[in-house]
Amino acid sequence: MSAPSARTGYVTILRRDLLLAWRRRGEAAFPVLYALIVATLFPFALGPEGALLARIAAGVVLVTVLLAMLLALDGLFRPDVEDGSLEQLLLAPQPLGLLLAAKILAHWLTTALPLLLASPLLAAMLHLPVAVLPVLLVALALATPLMSLLGALVVALTVGTRRSGMLLALMLLPLMVPVVIFAAGAVSAAQQGLPFIAPLAWLGAALVLALVLAPAACAAALRIALDA
Amino acid sequence: MNVHSSPTLWNRLVLWYHQMGSPPYFYAFAGRWRPWFIAATLITAAIGLYGGLLLAPPDYQQGDAYRIIFIHVPCAWMSLFTYAFMAGCGLVGLVWRVKLAEILAMEAAPIGAAFTFVTLVTGSLWGKPMWGAWWTWDARLTSELVLLFLYLGVIGLYHAFEDTRQGARAAAFLALIGVVNLPIVHYSVVWWNTLHQGTTVQLFGPSRITWSMLWPLLTMALSTHLYLGWSLLGRARVALLELEGGKDWARAIALKEASRG
Repeated sequence: MSAPSARTGYVTILRRDLLLAWRRRGEAAFPVLYALIVATLFPFALGPEGALLARIAAGVVLVTVLLAMLLALDGLFRPDVEDGSLEQLLLAPQPLGLLLAAKILAHWLTTALPLLLASPLLAAMLHLPVAVLPVLLVALALATPLMSLLGALVVALTVGTRRSGMLLALMLLPLMVPVVIFAAGAVSAAQQGLPFIAPLAWLGAALVLALVLAPAACAAALRIALDA
Repeated sequence: MNVHSSPTLWNRLVLWYHQMGSPPYFYAFAGRWRPWFIAATLITAAIGLYGGLLLAPPDYQQGDAYRIIFIHVPCAWMSLFTYAFMAGCGLVGLVWRVKLAEILAMEAAPIGAAFTFVTLVTGSLWGKPMWGAWWTWDARLTSELVLLFLYLGVIGLYHAFEDTRQGARAAAFLALIGVVNLPIVHYSVVWWNTLHQGTTVQLFGPSRITWSMLWPLLTMALSTHLYLGWSLLGRARVALLELEGGKDWARAIALKEASRG
């Protein structure tokens, strides 16, 4: 019996993870709820003046979305480590990087996409000018997959450890700095009426690079962390 | 080819490298060299500080406040050098699974974090009278802060594992990710700064540093390198004993120490 093709493996993992997420679809609301709570706290802390909120709105939405993703990252491999299916993935004849890419895609679809859909609401709450909203959405659409890929790389290193939310944040921060700078740079340039294509292009280039390299690096990290 | 010829320099180097991979050999080697390292550290630090704090002329703009660079700049250099050393050892440990390389990488991390911390503290002490602020979001300062987080991440990941060697390999991999990430962070922060029109204070400006200030600086740089050697060898010795506590050579050392009283 020959092993199923890599394509079959990819589709199977993607379908399995999406199905699992669908069975627990209530959980998809948690990151959105978290982002909503954090975004609500900012006007209380800074005062309700529209002008001030409009100036910081894009940055707040961006950081809130990334923090909500950080909270959800722990769930990427944890259940699979606990029920042993991750070790089966490591033993599978298909390339591990490809199978992990399917897992990362499923994770992005179930955690980042709801956040992306909710972000216009958050932006409106903070009085972000409507004209800038498309730029923010494009920046988020490029930044969140990048965050998922880099986050998967970091979270793969911690699968062998006990629960480590704070450690994850500490490890991810240096990787997030450039993402935040370019995403926020694009939006603030758009807000000032300046050209905003360059930072978005940088984000896109980084995303393409991460799409190719991160799953393979993630596979290497997973093998190290599980000593397999 | 004459097989009986005396060993070449390369052969000696290869032999030395392989001997260093052996824990008992390294333990004895480190014990022999540590006193020399600390002696050389103290002598060069005394010369460098004397030259820097007393002999070097005051700066025409900053007066005596600039003298903090004799601590600050060597520490900043060392924060990067130690990171490179850690990542290099980590790579050797990951590829060839050399136990000693893993230990050296992990024991270098706290020293590098300390150098980074000292750099940040002395920088902000200098920044208060010069810039009027403890902290500015200058590209170099921000990169140094991110470097500190990288070190802390490596240390944290290393200690999160139950198994020391597994933790060392995972943390070494994180250190290698950091090598790729650090230049990206630095250039993105530079870009961010120009976009936001931040402070454009030049640390040294176009004027070149004079010899009377340069030689104490270089002596201090040498001293911090020697300090790294002293600290690293000591830390690695302790880590080796912890890791190899059950082995015969560690037992022999313990018995020898006990018989000595």
